[in-house]
Amino acid sequence: MDFIHLHVHSQYSFLDGASSLDKLLDKAASLRMPALALTDHNRLTGAIRFYSKARAAGIKPIIGAEVDLDGGYHLTLLCKNADGYSNLCRLITQAHLSNRDRKPEATREMLRNHSSGLIALSGCSKGEIPAFVAEGKRDKAKEAACFYREVFGKDFFIELIRYPSREGVSDSYRLASFAKEDNLPIVATNNVHYAEIKEYRIKELLNAIDRIIPASQLEGYRTVEQYLKSQQEMVKLFRDLPEAIKNTEEIASRCNLELELGKPRFPKFAIPEGESDYGYLRKIAFAGAGRKYGSLSDSIKDRLEHELDTINKLGFCSYFLVVWDIARWAKSRDIRCQARGSAVDSLVVYALDISNVDPVAYNLLFERFMHPLRYEPPDIDLDVDRRRRDEVRDYIYQKYGAENVACVGTINTYMARGAIRDIGKALQIPKTIIEEACNGIHWLSASRLMEYADTLPELKHSTVYKKKELADFFKLCTAIDGFPKHLSVHLGGLLIGSGKLSDLVPLEWSGGGDIISQYDKDDIERLGIVKLDLLSLPTLTVIEDALNNIKQSRGIDIDIEKIPRNDPAAFSILRDGKTIGTFQLESPAQREMAGRLLPNRFEDIIVSISLVRPGPLKSNMDKDYLPRRHGKEPVKYLHPKLKNALGETLGVILYQEQVLKVAHDLAGMSYAEADGFRRAMTHERTEQEMEKMRDSFISRAVGDGIRKNIAEKVFEQLAAFAAYGFCKGHACAYAITAYQTLWLKSYYPAEFLAAVLSNQPMGYYPSRVLAAEAKRFGVEVLPPDINNSSDRYAVEKGAIRVSLKQLKGMSEKALESILSARAERKFTSLRDFVLRTDVSQPILENLVKVGAFDSLGNQDNLLLQLPKLSELKHKVIRGTASLFEDTALEADTSPDFSIDDRKSRLFIERELLSLDLSAHPLDFCDSDNGITKMRDLPSIPAGRRVKLVGSVIRYETPPTRSGKRVVYVIMEDGTGIADVTVFSDVQEKCGQVLFRERWLTVKGKVQRRGQKATSIIAEELYPLSRTERSVVNVNSGVQF
Amino acid sequence: MSRLIDEPVKVHQSNDSIITAFIWRKRLYRVLDVVGWWREPSDWWNGKPVRFFIRVNAQNSSTGTYELYKLGGQWFLSRVLD
Repeated sequence: MDFIHLHVHSQYSFLDGASSLDKLLDKAASLRMPALALTDHNRLTGAIRFYSKARAAGIKPIIGAEVDLDGGYHLTLLCKNADGYSNLCRLITQAHLSNRDRKPEATREMLRNHSSGLIALSGCSKGEIPAFVAEGKRDKAKEAACFYREVFGKDFFIELIRYPSREGVSDSYRLASFAKEDNLPIVATNNVHYAEIKEYRIKELLNAIDRIIPASQLEGYRTVEQYLKSQQEMVKLFRDLPEAIKNTEEIASRCNLELELGKPRFPKFAIPEGESDYGYLRKIAFAGAGRKYGSLSDSIKDRLEHELDTINKLGFCSYFLVVWDIARWAKSRDIRCQARGSAVDSLVVYALDISNVDPVAYNLLFERFMHPLRYEPPDIDLDVDRRRRDEVRDYIYQKYGAENVACVGTINTYMARGAIRDIGKALQIPKTIIEEACNGIHWLSASRLMEYADTLPELKHSTVYKKKELADFFKLCTAIDGFPKHLSVHLGGLLIGSGKLSDLVPLEWSGGGDIISQYDKDDIERLGIVKLDLLSLPTLTVIEDALNNIKQSRGIDIDIEKIPRNDPAAFSILRDGKTIGTFQLESPAQREMAGRLLPNRFEDIIVSISLVRPGPLKSNMDKDYLPRRHGKEPVKYLHPKLKNALGETLGVILYQEQVLKVAHDLAGMSYAEADGFRRAMTHERTEQEMEKMRDSFISRAVGDGIRKNIAEKVFEQLAAFAAYGFCKGHACAYAITAYQTLWLKSYYPAEFLAAVLSNQPMGYYPSRVLAAEAKRFGVEVLPPDINNSSDRYAVEKGAIRVSLKQLKGMSEKALESILSARAERKFTSLRDFVLRTDVSQPILENLVKVGAFDSLGNQDNLLLQLPKLSELKHKVIRGTASLFEDTALEADTSPDFSIDDRKSRLFIERELLSLDLSAHPLDFCDSDNGITKMRDLPSIPAGRRVKLVGSVIRYETPPTRSGKRVVYVIMEDGTGIADVTVFSDVQEKCGQVLFRERWLTVKGKVQRRGQKATSIIAEELYPLSRTERSVVNVNSGVQF
Repeated sequence: MSRLIDEPVKVHQSNDSIITAFIWRKRLYRVLDVVGWWREPSDWWNGKPVRFFIRVNAQNSSTGTYELYKLGGQWFLSRVLD
């Protein structure tokens, strides 16, 4: 007789289940279990992947959930079929959505409405019937049993769980006798929470984390028995009740859910009467192409027909119409919205005005995006102006109905830092130890924590990891690596259902009040539901703001889509690395590439964006390409036929689209076949698979008249490249936006940088670095002014005026009050301001301190007036004083406590504005101690040793070809930026400093790559000297 | 009613690991039958392992019920049930 586990929790019973799906399935497979259920608490988050993994392991998956009911009771539900699955999705959704900010609870009414296709087990000790029976309330238990039998009929079972204990298993006997009396069928389960017995500690730990209490204070029933017991153990436990074991088989045989995975499910787009999806799409695509190209050439017509035919054959017309409608709606409201990713390779997407990249002009291949051999939902990602993204989202909700749209959920999981913090708290590890252990840890996986502690220079000197008494603590931290903590909203992902979404996807509230799917994006894809990525791109907001700034300050109206794409001024700042604030081109790696590539045409930006990626750099593509670009090496082709595909990149493969063209031109593959070939080589493959692909490519190329040795060499190049290449369509889309920002910065630095500053946080650099960059571009940055600053950075006579929003602690309410009062008339005095606005005392004080009232009086005097003015305001509000009372306040003069001291002012700017307006902390350091200013680095010869002092902007650790870690440190000193490279030998030597210090002294050699790319190869890193530290830390109050 | 003892005992096991007898305070108790077994969670955060318990009927001068548990290879008499 087989016993089947029908009540099993995985890690997707957030902070309750202690084993991963893999562990549970491995154990079930090792115990030769034919089937296994998954019944996580109130969620199906793990269901889809469990379904696929179990099938792959030869185990029949039974999908279910343990749901919370009205009154806090539990009920175990299992899906018999697709109807049951839909009902479970609906039930879970309703239980969640009807209980916002509370625990989900299903009512009896919900159960009644959604019972079809479901099997119900009476639940654990928290089940309604088990609880009543344990309390001796048999009448109530009977009433409940009546209800469940009425709702679920023969699909209702009394669930018996036996955990041997000192008290025996008497509850189970009482429950069995109750079932017998009422003639109810029984079934044995083990309410599994972990695969192995030893994992009970993990479960208790997770429970403690969930309840925010120390593990030692966990109350209630404790057991070690909730592991995945063998059939023999379960049969032995229930030897007196063989029926309970037999019924597990019976129930499993009733559960035959077949999920249709991978079948695309598209929302229906409402088309005009009498039109077909295809006919309508064709009509608007041709009309759009006509607008873009004027008269259509035969080749454009042919390409459009070909793409439309493919879209139609794959059944994707409706999807294209949906996306077209969204983009059209956004643009009709002047909301910047454009496609990114491989969708840009499509002429239809361009013709529908979803993308602004002409795929014909840029030689892009549709098959990289879509072809008949790749039957999976198309993926058109849209970038939208960040400020207005929600307007577009609201339109989608309104158009398709709130029941058919939801945000994609994302599972937040434990990594090293979170695990150390949460487990540390649960085990009452002293805070100092937790802080020490976390110091230097950023994005590290918890499972490799001890390996990192042994190898990473910044961790291996730390004593905490070596303490024997903490060994078990760290072991527990590694054990919860990847465990889910909570669900949140995926950035950008929106689901549009073909019907009511909750028929297929369980939904719940996010912490922020959005309705989200319990499945993550991967499972959504597996289910075939259309996901639309509506991504907030702050750069689009910056462009919009910059154009508005230009219009306001200079009266010039610019159509950014029509600017020339070969403007020398834009390329000049790119070559000089003056790209801070621009899109995609501001990172140290891009600045360095620009110094080597010396771009002077738009295509260079596409190349640069494609090259500066971990893969291409790891495979040294830059070293092949750059000498050819500069004419230092001849452009050669292994075969003349390759010129068509590789001519644009001088014989080097840079783009994924080129792989398709090479396979097409040389081996005679269709583009669809060629994309299959590219994808096969991109994914992990066995040696045999690789050999098969090689043979196929070579034999087809030889069949096409190519010499075998040439075909072999070309294949080797393709194989080396395939995993690293970049999609040219995507690079083109980004290059256009990047170029637009570059152009704006080169011609309108004040307007552009004001826009970038207004939209922080975004990009690589904090506000103070951006403000310093403005100064380097000759743009003055003015402190906030109560009569001139607004809610955004503004351009004022060629200078940038700091926004009022930049002030620490500024609230929306206060800002609104200031701006609306000022809209009536400008403020004439502090008194006028106080009486006409509703601004709290701390905000008011901060405004005075940062100089916002300097135009209205002496700062010290104003500060001294504040208490009196505040008192006056209260009196006015209470009606005990008139607005005209106590005018002497204005004339109140006090001793001059001048705070017009540069250091103090800088302290206040850093503290309250996070900016260095009047000075930089390093201005106060002794300049004669051999420190090189960063602005001077470009003129210092390569190889010369320098000493730099500056604050760390960020650390980066990109993957390297050798696998050895290289750390890039971006620093600033107020005069410029320095990119410092720290190789492993220096990491070893200076591990204690790396990632810990926010101000560094660096000694190293100037390195120059290409003509202009300058960086520093670090030889020594150390914290600031005591004197320097006293300047930056004490005098200017720099806080980390 | 039960009396808490918590004293080490020496256990005799048959070849198939079944407890046949134990010695407590120098007196031999023959195990007549095993009444039950269970495992108890421990204060694992203090490094304590799970304890395996067994309840037996055993005979010395008279028959009684005894709870034994194993910890780190050593058996203990946990309590005597009256």
